[in-house]
Amino acid sequence: MITSQQLIDRIQKNVGVPWQSQQSDGFSDGILFGSPEATVTGIVTTWTPTLDVLRKAVSSAKNVVICRQAPSYSRGERAPVAWRNAPAPSKEMLDKDPVWQAKQDFISKNNLLIIRFCDNWDARRTDGQLRGLAKALGWEKFYLAQSAKDDYEPRNVYFRLPATSLNNLAEGIKKKLDIQGLRVIGKPDSSVTKVALTHGLLLVADAEQILREPGVDAIVTGDAVEWEAAPYFQDLVAAGKAKGLILLGDEASEEPGSGEVADWLKGFVTEVPIEWIPAGDPFWVLS
Amino acid sequence: MKLSRRKFCQVAGRGLLVASPLVRALGQSPSTLTAREVVARIKKNVGVPWFTPTADDFKIGEPDAPITGITATFMSTLDVLQRSAAAGNNFVITHEPTFWSAADVVSDLREDPLYNYKLNFLEKNKMVVWRFHDHWHAHRPADGIFTGWNKAMGWESYASPGADPFSHEYVIPETSFEDLARDMQKKLNTHSMRLVGNPKLRVTKVAHAGHYIQQCMQVLPHVDVVLVFECREWEAAEYLRDAVASGQKKALIQLPHEGGEEAGMDECARWMKTFVTEVPIKFIPSGDPFWMPT
Repeated sequence: MITSQQLIDRIQKNVGVPWQSQQSDGFSDGILFGSPEATVTGIVTTWTPTLDVLRKAVSSAKNVVICRQAPSYSRGERAPVAWRNAPAPSKEMLDKDPVWQAKQDFISKNNLLIIRFCDNWDARRTDGQLRGLAKALGWEKFYLAQSAKDDYEPRNVYFRLPATSLNNLAEGIKKKLDIQGLRVIGKPDSSVTKVALTHGLLLVADAEQILREPGVDAIVTGDAVEWEAAPYFQDLVAAGKAKGLILLGDEASEEPGSGEVADWLKGFVTEVPIEWIPAGDPFWVLS
Repeated sequence: MKLSRRKFCQVAGRGLLVASPLVRALGQSPSTLTAREVVARIKKNVGVPWFTPTADDFKIGEPDAPITGITATFMSTLDVLQRSAAAGNNFVITHEPTFWSAADVVSDLREDPLYNYKLNFLEKNKMVVWRFHDHWHAHRPADGIFTGWNKAMGWESYASPGADPFSHEYVIPETSFEDLARDMQKKLNTHSMRLVGNPKLRVTKVAHAGHYIQQCMQVLPHVDVVLVFECREWEAAEYLRDAVASGQKKALIQLPHEGGEEAGMDECARWMKTFVTEVPIKFIPSGDPFWMPT
């Protein structure tokens, strides 16, 4: 038997970096919903605890959901981050919102535990999110490791792929990840071979850092602000300084990392079943 | 004969660019119009008192030099600047930033090769860039961006009167969600629309919800379809996906930012032509930045 607090203690012991539990703003890692004394019946890992993921957890008799995103459609910041996102909705606003009501009722009725695990996972020596995404794409063999010990170190994000067109690269990724909402900037027939792979939201400072490495043709990432890194890339392409940007979507770029979390947990939690349940691409597109 | 300034402008605007005896008699050449003078006319015509702080300011160039022509655009990308220079327009009025941040902060970009490339292009072509964001939204009697958007969609008569500009609500003839999306894609010339919800859902009430989750929460109870652009995916998309999963008959259209606002700068070009006639004015679309593979 293992309680949720024991689970968190074990995660803290195994994470390999000093545990950070306070954020100046936004949600911290730890229990967002549920009791530390509750007995764990099974663990689901996922990028974001959608109502659909929660239902699947319940139907497979697992009561703990470990996720990167909070369930309430916000990262919890009280102030907008340079107007890229919204401040968190107030409690009053959330409490009267019918969508949140339905989800909150489901969580409490089924005694689910929601545990956020993001900042501490990202603080590890290996970028688990990058490793998961590289595996999902089948790109491990193309990784430009800087040393034999380099196991997806956070700043080394470079891959040398067999030369192909930007369009073929994008089509291949879309198929491999089984996603719909993939968006591209750049000329479809440009030839690409050296690619940087990252996840989540790409900011201009990230793009500048990544492109200091010579010869990078394209960046594949999750999302970009449409008045920041997206036009930055349009301009890079117009100036002939880079060939393309592929945006997978936040979920698609981060979800395989939740598979890595599940595999990692299995190394030290053996009492209960552990399953990665992807939330899936939220979007469909017109054909 | 005393020629009013307005009359003079109309004469000059008809393409009489060589200094006629009349122009010489007035001691003024049509080519002396400056960017700063254009901005003064914008301030006079915008229908609200000018306020601060605001992003609406000169971002680069010499505001007191004569201008050759005006480009109105949604985003002053390098491509738009190049097309403006080719069209002979050295004054660019842009709704969105030039240097990739909301406040066009360039202090961190001094060493950036792309920043220097864009800067060199602007300087070499003696271009002036002025941002027109906050006050074009504040324009009265109606937000200039959404006036343009409504025209592009042909939805002027469907808009609810008195709605807050960023949460315009519409009652449209009933259609399916998928057909609505197709119609919108065509009219707004977008290539990267992303959708949540049942394609066959019958829909008639539609609302803009701006960029943020609170706006989505405010409009969702009244409408079938929520429209957002430049909204983080963990906000609108996840919210609508849960709304659908919990049994609500709702849908989301996530447009590229241009799809949501670019038509408003076409409107801006039309509007400026009513009080700036000395130089040509052209709307140059920056266009949907994205394409999607099949």
